[in-house]
Amino acid sequence: MGQIDERYAFDFYPLESEQQTRIAPFFQHLREGRLTTTKCTACGLVLWQPRVVCAHCHAEAMEWIDLPKEGTIFAHTAVLAGAPVGFEKDVPFVVAVIQLAGMDFRVVARIDDARYEDLKIGDTVRLKVVTLPDGRVWFRFVPAK
Amino acid sequence: MRKVAIVGCGLTKWGVRNATYKELAQEVSKPLFEDVENLRREDVDSLFVGSALVDRLAFQAYPAPIVAEQMGLAPTKMCMRTEMACVSGQAAMRVAYTSIASGLSDVAVVVGIEKMNLPNLAETQASMACVLDREWDGVNGLNAPPYFALVAQRHMHEYGTTREQMGLVKVKNAEYSASNPYAHFSKRVPLEKVLASPMIAPPLRLLDCSGITDGAAAVVMTHEDNAKRFTDTPVFIEGLGQATDGSLVGNLKSLTTWFPLKHAARDALKMAGVGIGDMDLAETHDCFTISEIIEYEDLGLCDKGKGGKFIEDGQSKIGGELPINLRGGLLCCGHPLGATGVAQAIEVVQQFKAQVPRERHVGGEWGLCHNLSGSANNHAVMVLHRGS
Repeated sequence: MGQIDERYAFDFYPLESEQQTRIAPFFQHLREGRLTTTKCTACGLVLWQPRVVCAHCHAEAMEWIDLPKEGTIFAHTAVLAGAPVGFEKDVPFVVAVIQLAGMDFRVVARIDDARYEDLKIGDTVRLKVVTLPDGRVWFRFVPAK
Repeated sequence: MRKVAIVGCGLTKWGVRNATYKELAQEVSKPLFEDVENLRREDVDSLFVGSALVDRLAFQAYPAPIVAEQMGLAPTKMCMRTEMACVSGQAAMRVAYTSIASGLSDVAVVVGIEKMNLPNLAETQASMACVLDREWDGVNGLNAPPYFALVAQRHMHEYGTTREQMGLVKVKNAEYSASNPYAHFSKRVPLEKVLASPMIAPPLRLLDCSGITDGAAAVVMTHEDNAKRFTDTPVFIEGLGQATDGSLVGNLKSLTTWFPLKHAARDALKMAGVGIGDMDLAETHDCFTISEIIEYEDLGLCDKGKGGKFIEDGQSKIGGELPINLRGGLLCCGHPLGATGVAQAIEVVQQFKAQVPRERHVGGEWGLCHNLSGSANNHAVMVLHRGS
């Protein structure tokens, strides 16, 4: 046969269980409404995304730190056409690069409850956690006001 | 180190093709071998295949032996696929260069092939989203058009670049593709039409984007002593540079300054012993209109932030500071990922050999090819020189 059974098809979302990844706590924290990443306990380096081995000193002992639940829009757009498989029904949706206060990195996330034209660079957005149909979780943002 | 020359070129028609990945490999073999009269298949000891997404778009892994068989080749020195997303084509030429320069290979075929058009284009868009980090960037529905829309928004915000200036890049490249029979889109386009085309990811519209295109491009490369066997007009690869920095979009130092491009261009020009001002023409990676504007700036053709004015003043047209993308660029030829980098080099070779239509012929001695991939986190630059 060789026909694909959709139960075994890939999707975009990370595998998040303890059996599948060593950063399973990231997803548990999301369930608690917390966006987190790792900090190396040896050299103090904080990286996005969470790591299991420090890219600077190779230490394997990481601690989890909370990231701000609010950020500002660094850049944003909307997907109006040409969405990837699995996202077609969501069109149109807003995607943004978000600056988190005090962090050396930014994060990419969707912004719900807003159209492209409702938003501008510098607007404040707040963390939102979404639950997928199969129970996995992911993060998005919404306008803060 | 031996000097390395390009001694022959072949292209298929690019577009939405009624041909599979393997058929494109067969097709490109014919013009390639016809271009190099003295080349026998048994002379080819190495094959480098630039294909970015063949695993997903043709559901085919391990394509190099397949391409070899389709082209009638049986390489005995080096045979491999190179994958660097949209830079897979120039990556294949870089590996061929190193293999020939080192003495490992004598005669190499480099072929870039991509079959992008599938019955369900959302599959193609999903594969393109996997060019970004799938788990942290692609997962947000981000692929090339929305990513470069973010870049365009920032460039407009930081430097005052206008919608009209971006549109002029498409107008220029369409003017040149009008005389390119291999191009996916070979019709002139007025600015009003670019600005009225459907919005894809604001501020980018359909005609700001390169096409989803099937196609192949191939070259024959060999060392200097061997080149005269095949052609009177070899084109030498005199400089190469490549730099990569970062992957996650949130970790990029800037969306609007492409530091790896600056690095790659500096290295390639230094290796060739020339400056950007010595170039007679350039092929730069205009995957989106905003990309070409940033490339003017980061190649050092104008001050940072003045790329919009550079196109507005006609400086990238024939007769301007440096004619750019005379085959029509990715915007008009389309962008079969692995084929693009090879086709850029072919345009420079054919310009040197006066094998292009007169209306877009500039010729000259020095040409630069720039190929980028992903979130513009990887750039490759190649400097070509017309042999005497």
